[in-house]
Amino acid sequence: MGHLAFERHRLDNGLRVVLAPDSAAPIVAVNLWYDVGSRNERPGRTGFAHLFEHMMFQGTASVAKGEHFATVQAAGGTLNASTWCDRTNYFETLPSHELETGLWLEADRMANLLPAMTLEKLDNQRDVVKNERRSSMDNQPYGSWDERIQAAIFPVGHPYHHSTIGSMEDLSAASLDDVKEFFATYYAPNNAVLSLAGDFEPGSALAAIERHFGPLTPNGALPPAPDGALPDRLGGEVRDTVPDAVELPRVYLAYRIPPYGTDEFLPFELASDLLATGRASRLYARLVREQRLAQDIGASVFPFAHGAAVLMAHATARPDLDIEILEAALAAEIEDLATNGPTDDELERVRTLHASTIERGLEEVAERADRLSQYTCLFDQPERINTEVGDYDRVSAEAIREALRDQLGPDNRYVLTFVPNGEDLADEEED
Amino acid sequence: MPLNPNRPTPGQPREYHFPPFSHRTLDNGLTVWAVPLPGRAVVSVSLVVDGGAATETEAQGGVAALAAQSLVTGTQRLDANDFAIASERLGIEIGADSAWDSARAGFSALGARLEEGLGLLGEMVRQPRFDDEEFTRLREERLADIMQARSEPGRLADEQYLAQLFGSDSPYGRLSAGTPETVEPLTVSDARAHHARTWGPAGGHLVLAGPVEIERAFRLAEKEFGSWTGGGAGHRSFAVEREPRRRVVLYDRPGSVQSEIRVGEIGIARTDPNYFPAVVMAGVLGGTFSSRLNQRLREELGYTYGARAGFDPRRSRGPMVSRAAVQTEVSAASVTELLAVLEGMRAAPPADGELADVRDYMVGVFPLRFETTGGVAGAIEPIAVYELATDWWATYRDRIESVTPEHVHDSARELIHPDSALILLVGDAATVEPALVEAGLGPIEVISAD
Repeated sequence: MGHLAFERHRLDNGLRVVLAPDSAAPIVAVNLWYDVGSRNERPGRTGFAHLFEHMMFQGTASVAKGEHFATVQAAGGTLNASTWCDRTNYFETLPSHELETGLWLEADRMANLLPAMTLEKLDNQRDVVKNERRSSMDNQPYGSWDERIQAAIFPVGHPYHHSTIGSMEDLSAASLDDVKEFFATYYAPNNAVLSLAGDFEPGSALAAIERHFGPLTPNGALPPAPDGALPDRLGGEVRDTVPDAVELPRVYLAYRIPPYGTDEFLPFELASDLLATGRASRLYARLVREQRLAQDIGASVFPFAHGAAVLMAHATARPDLDIEILEAALAAEIEDLATNGPTDDELERVRTLHASTIERGLEEVAERADRLSQYTCLFDQPERINTEVGDYDRVSAEAIREALRDQLGPDNRYVLTFVPNGEDLADEEED
Repeated sequence: MPLNPNRPTPGQPREYHFPPFSHRTLDNGLTVWAVPLPGRAVVSVSLVVDGGAATETEAQGGVAALAAQSLVTGTQRLDANDFAIASERLGIEIGADSAWDSARAGFSALGARLEEGLGLLGEMVRQPRFDDEEFTRLREERLADIMQARSEPGRLADEQYLAQLFGSDSPYGRLSAGTPETVEPLTVSDARAHHARTWGPAGGHLVLAGPVEIERAFRLAEKEFGSWTGGGAGHRSFAVEREPRRRVVLYDRPGSVQSEIRVGEIGIARTDPNYFPAVVMAGVLGGTFSSRLNQRLREELGYTYGARAGFDPRRSRGPMVSRAAVQTEVSAASVTELLAVLEGMRAAPPADGELADVRDYMVGVFPLRFETTGGVAGAIEPIAVYELATDWWATYRDRIESVTPEHVHDSARELIHPDSALILLVGDAATVEPALVEAGLGPIEVISAD
């Protein structure tokens, strides 16, 4: 496993900076994490953190609408941004001689967004985001799965209860005043991490960062983080059956688990790999290949860092299979792993796959910069980029067995079933 | 656009060249391409054969895809589960799939695993198991997948667009993975026969990119594949024709809150002499966030999350398409706007600045495209499959730079014909059809889902 060298700095205004130089190719990644996401949204404004992210591309006092994208692309760069519960990130990869263009654009919009803000721009991006919701959720089979899982695993009022994309009603309600207040509150240098990875000289890069970001004013009154504390399990089994425009039924099992970043989270990350990573994984080998019950399977974690995270597994039924049979088979695989734990061979397999996946990801400077920002923003520990594989490898079979046995019982389970439109009526008649 | 006075001046670009590579054809016909990338952690390997859908008969549409997918279900020595374990223990997930013009198998791995990975890849393609039960499972999964596409509006629109554009007479009127009618009767013997005809060294290519010296790459290739025989059955050439006639086809998906729109016609072949003007033209139209389609439909009108356009060049002329998923209520308005953008491409050459931005992007992003060893190996594949000049990437940026506004205008007039384009929508017909009629787009052909 390679070791990534980096250095840390902090500007007087609180901006945290991580620099990871590597001159292999003449390209550089610029990555900013703001410590704000949908968990910071107030009631009635779900979806706002993400809508705000769109507004960050709409121009500033010094950059016209459309010019941000056009400038980076004409420089030969790629760019985007994303919003999730725990953060909002902005990133571009550029030919290295254009590094300062990227720094300037990021500093400029952290400083000068509001003078150029108009209701016309907000209305335009409100429509775009509503269409994003339609494209990714409302017009897609099974599209509401993650929104439903978050709503069931986290109680009403919890910061993770609502989805990042938000509701149509709340998107409609967002105002220019909301934009101004959100910007003034969260888009400050002392609420952000800036990481660079790739081809640059650290001394001159730091000087350029100081030049562009140094004059920005910190927010002396950052609000306290929302309280994410909650019981460590659901306290019962919750079930939903959802008729949807789907051809095949699908079942999800989801569980509340310890938060990302803790040692207690790791056994569940390994469990998701044991269950569903690769064609030798348990769910693929048994449900897809041997028993031929499932058309497809998956397992993953939502790595939430505050309060609790989520482990989930799903399977889509083969045609004409009763979904209850599939649910029982899926639950039985999780039960088996929780009762007997993984074999040494299985553990070795997922450890090797995990290390290889991480290393392949770190081929890209964009991935290095994003991970450095992530570990700094969430834990103030960029060095996790070099310890995460070792941490993963240290989790024993017994630790996995114990953690799963304690946590994945029916007192902590959400069962979400999608059925083709119309089939729910038949079920009700039988009842 | 006004330049901000504080805007920094870029430094001097560092010189960058596509990495040097060598190729050599073994005695059995397999061409080995070695791209040494010293110091990299990861090596990428791909084996490419002339075994894509263009080597099938129409009656067996989909056999190429199923034959490729069957390869990863085991070898004569290892059954499906043992094969998966053997590769995953190396940190490798070997993949195999097929498209129109080639079939491929490959992996990326840490450099130290290259020899073992290559050994498994060789065993997989030379001594495949073709287990009957595994083949049946894959075929049933494929049939269920085709069924699932009926409820996925984006996939449904892609399939319907090809079917309506090329028609049932052309192989390109379907997806390369086949249709229910052609997949249903396929057997493991068909897959085995397809493999025997097409998966072999004759006309095949092995690409290795990563921390491996040239001579060692050739030596490893010779060791694993030097005694391989077979392949080289050859592919069909298609004449693709379409009557130039405006059609508006609406596929009903009741209750849809968006319409998936596809507008276009038959485009270019991969070896078209005017390839560069065409791809730059497509870049201006719909290749980037700043392109005309996205600026108009998303950033000005808010009708969509994104609009794009592009070619799918194949050995024969593949489709060109402009696409967007739009809110149901503005479906007809979106089509009208989209057609106006297409007309604009024909009406006049692009402004110097607009064209310069697109060229600068395509030239400037060049080193980013080859950052990973997988990106480098992937860039060799079209050279191998389409027999492009080996200096393709060495001359690529100059050829982009040499595209003028007049070239783009000529390309648009040759390849874009809004008056005779196919306009396809997948959406809620009860809402969308009256609006399309009112927009005066001509007769609407409605296809009901059942």
